[in-house]
Amino acid sequence: MKKEKVQVRICVGTACFVQGGSDLLLYNDFVDPAIIAECEIEGCSCLEACKVDGEGAPYVMIDGEVHSKVTQEEFARLLTQAVKNA
Amino acid sequence: MLELNNQYTAMKRRIDTEVLKLFFAGKLDELDRLPFTIIPKDRTPNRCCIYKERAIVRYRIMALLGIDIERFDDEMKPLSEYAKEVMQEDPPVLPLLTTISTGCYGCPPDQYRISDACRGCFARPCMANCPKDAIVFINGQAHINEERCIRCGKCMDVCPFHAVVHIPVPCEEACPVGAVKKNEKGVVEIDHKNCISCGRCARSCPFGAIAERSGLIPVLKMLQSGQKVTAMIAPAIEGQFPGTLAQIRASLLKIGFDKVVEVAEGAAVTTEHEADEVVRRKGEGEGYMTTSCCSAYMELVDKHLKFLDERYSRAFSPMIYTSRMCKEQDPDNRTVFIGPCLAKRVEAARRGGVDGVITFSELAAIFMAKGIDVREEEAADLGDTSAFDYCRQFAITHGVADCVLSRVADPASIRVLPINGVDKKTFRLMKSWEKRAPEVDLVEVMCCEGGCIDGPGTIVKPAVAMKLRGGTKAATPVASVKAPL
Ligand code: SF4
Ligand code: SF4
Ligand code: FES
Repeated sequence: MKKEKVQVRICVGTACFVQGGSDLLLYNDFVDPAIIAECEIEGCSCLEACKVDGEGAPYVMIDGEVHSKVTQEEFARLLTQAVKNA
Repeated sequence: MLELNNQYTAMKRRIDTEVLKLFFAGKLDELDRLPFTIIPKDRTPNRCCIYKERAIVRYRIMALLGIDIERFDDEMKPLSEYAKEVMQEDPPVLPLLTTISTGCYGCPPDQYRISDACRGCFARPCMANCPKDAIVFINGQAHINEERCIRCGKCMDVCPFHAVVHIPVPCEEACPVGAVKKNEKGVVEIDHKNCISCGRCARSCPFGAIAERSGLIPVLKMLQSGQKVTAMIAPAIEGQFPGTLAQIRASLLKIGFDKVVEVAEGAAVTTEHEADEVVRRKGEGEGYMTTSCCSAYMELVDKHLKFLDERYSRAFSPMIYTSRMCKEQDPDNRTVFIGPCLAKRVEAARRGGVDGVITFSELAAIFMAKGIDVREEEAADLGDTSAFDYCRQFAITHGVADCVLSRVADPASIRVLPINGVDKKTFRLMKSWEKRAPEVDLVEVMCCEGGCIDGPGTIVKPAVAMKLRGGTKAATPVASVKAPL
């Protein structure tokens, strides 16, 4: 059976984008290509999480779960973990 | 310089956004509560304690209000009081920067130090290469005799274990012209007479002890009072927000600007002037000409490189031409420049003709406070931009020169030297031109490395911005943008 790819959504709403989310768009530069190959990475519109907690931006959704304050390192770590668990 | 995204910038954006929320709600009288909501009792502080953090938040708010903290800091005076005054009367624009002495760590003087990684090796290249015999061995480890050390860094270059560390003073190291100094208490001070407003120091201090005095409130007041205001957007704006230029335009109209004009339009006028001028100067054998669009460079000439007075192009900057065009078309409109630059505020204040200057990061705070999501806005028509859209390149190093070359008959005949960022080293190089002129025809000077897209008022790393630039394909470095799962 073919493995489902990990679904990754980087929030590109304004609040996330200007608070560091834009850095994540360079994922090709800092995430292992083997990990990227196992993921489907897309941008997505505001996850509405910023409206609840503005301090948590940038947000990223991975397989339905929302993560806050995602830095580049954190992003790489989360993806690796998600791929392992898939 | 610090990475663009760090805890300090995150905090700054948050503070700016919260202040603006109060502004838009007409509740600036509640400002005094803000340091306490932002730094709550149970926070684990990054500085020594939450009380100091609150104090710095307070200063940050004062800088946003445009207060000259160096001169008008009264610890007993509530923020709401400062806000009231600023609402009544705009504070003067200069000096651009202000120091927050409480925030300054008082970093010890620039030094080289030998760490534990030293193995006290047999070859001892540090000792052999030190020109001042400053390396001594104690208990089999190398040490630097501070009194002899001239900070040349030779030992650091030769140690095979990378045991030598350089500990700079970030603000002093960043300033190209030596305008940042420490006072007798070891606390940072800016020599405003010599400062060229490049903004490097403010971006370098990891403690946030140097801040720019914002010009945001006067602009918001203009918008609020119902005056018609034209937003002039700098060429660097593309790529700073998640959306196309057309969507950025729509967002600006939504926050109350009457019109949105691209400064690239004025840049086309600058380009034509410079193209004519460089050809004429070359024809008359006058030697090199420099560009004149970078405001920090103009300050540099004025304060430190007087001999370049006759060298820079007589063309005005794109901001000035754009503002003139706007005022010709709509004499009643006021004009606000929105860009990546702090020095533009100085230029606007000195030359006049522009009514306000704000940065991209301040614009981002407005969007966030108003809950505007640029990517969700319906694109507003940009009109016919074909006459000037090539000038959007002004934002990138070599871009101005490329535009100028595209407007001369024989571009191959014009020799170009780009100055990509003014730091201590390039400043020294430029000084040397007084004795020995560079053998080129056109010198393009940009004080920020990489060009305006890496200016102090930007919010997105140049690498990301470059991916997002280029008309309609904005915000799609990811394969596509989908709704949340
Ligand atoms: S970098 Fe300069 S301004 Fe910042 S804490 Fe150190 S000495 Fe003070
Ligand atoms: S010249 Fe630049 S780095 Fe030096 S004090 Fe002025 S703004 Fe700061
Ligand atoms: S902008 Fe990302 S959650 Fe709202």
